[in-house]
Amino acid sequence: MEVFLPIAQVFVNPIEILLLSAIVGVLSGLFGVGGGFLMTPFLIFLGIPPAYAVANEANNILATSVSGSTTYYLKNILDYKMGFIIVIGGAIGTTIGIYTFTYFKDIGKIDTVISLAYMYILAIIGTLMLVESLREIDQAKRNVLAKKKAHVHYWIHGLPLRMRFPKSKLYESIFTPIFIGFIVGFIAAIMGIGGAFILVPAMIYIIKMPTKLVPGTSLFVTIFVSIIVTFLHSFNYGSIDLLLVLMLVIGSIIGVQVGQKIGERIDSSGLRALLAILLLIVGIAIAYDTFFANEILNNVQSTKTKDLNFFSEFIIDFSKEMPFFYGLFTIMFAIILGVAAAFMRKFVSNLKIKLLIKAK
Amino acid sequence: MFLSEIKIFNKLSRLKTSYIKVGILMSLLAYWGVILVGTFVTFN
Repeated sequence: MEVFLPIAQVFVNPIEILLLSAIVGVLSGLFGVGGGFLMTPFLIFLGIPPAYAVANEANNILATSVSGSTTYYLKNILDYKMGFIIVIGGAIGTTIGIYTFTYFKDIGKIDTVISLAYMYILAIIGTLMLVESLREIDQAKRNVLAKKKAHVHYWIHGLPLRMRFPKSKLYESIFTPIFIGFIVGFIAAIMGIGGAFILVPAMIYIIKMPTKLVPGTSLFVTIFVSIIVTFLHSFNYGSIDLLLVLMLVIGSIIGVQVGQKIGERIDSSGLRALLAILLLIVGIAIAYDTFFANEILNNVQSTKTKDLNFFSEFIIDFSKEMPFFYGLFTIMFAIILGVAAAFMRKFVSNLKIKLLIKAK
Repeated sequence: MFLSEIKIFNKLSRLKTSYIKVGILMSLLAYWGVILVGTFVTFN
């Protein structure tokens, strides 16, 4: 069974997409990492052109981070002030990232740039994760406790324009979060990832935020960055495919829930080495495609507009004739899906509690 | 006699661990070599 994606102009198997996004979601929930840097390469392997894979994954990240952030909002563990300052940098980085994307698209090199960027980012994360997890396993075997320095000051903490962040109990220069946001925004625009793998360590080790505020604030920043990325991709290139986004969101939201439940029951530190190896394998697969295959053979099949059904025709016309409103619609679509998922999760957990009380 | 057996066992275990570590390090080096050489060749 295959479905035609009207915007990306390819046929895909919806079960494959749902399964893959669910698997990536399980890994995200289990290891607490964003799934963007795995899902986009998988979409490329399934035959979706890289430029479309990036844009649609950004929209999927918007939905999943809205879902996660709503949960943290309900628990009030978010630093809004710090989040907004990082978003300022993120907005500048995203805009410059989209200009860079447009430059490479115009010279016809965008697919190579995306592939190379993914190959290097997966190689770096995979290497760091593998070394870190092996060190953890080694220390656990020797029963050695890692000594951490209580407070380290870098040159970055001496920058001017300092501001108080009462929730995080910090007195920090605004340039630090703006710079971090800039890098995250730039990478998000080109690669369609949330950037949590940069944001989370930077918030903990450079900004020195309390760890309990980090996940919520990181998701809060990711929402705004992915809104800008989604809108700019949708407005400039009309590359968001609502059908693909719907499949990605359903798969990843279910997967994340399952992953979090598994994570509560097992110790995932030993499995981290396996995730690192998976990242390295995906990285080398992209390298093979980029270096050895002259052209990535996409299963693109030309479909005339007259063959399309009403829904596909409507999406194509909407994206071409009203790009601004289509951009807004894609954002609203992802936000509604994300909020609905968060409330559904709360409803299910309340129902479980009620059933448990009744059973007692 | 018993103590020396334990010492030999520990030494063997340490040797095995260091072989695995060197193996992983060499694999990572080879991996990065392929990526860097591939990038260099592609762009030339």
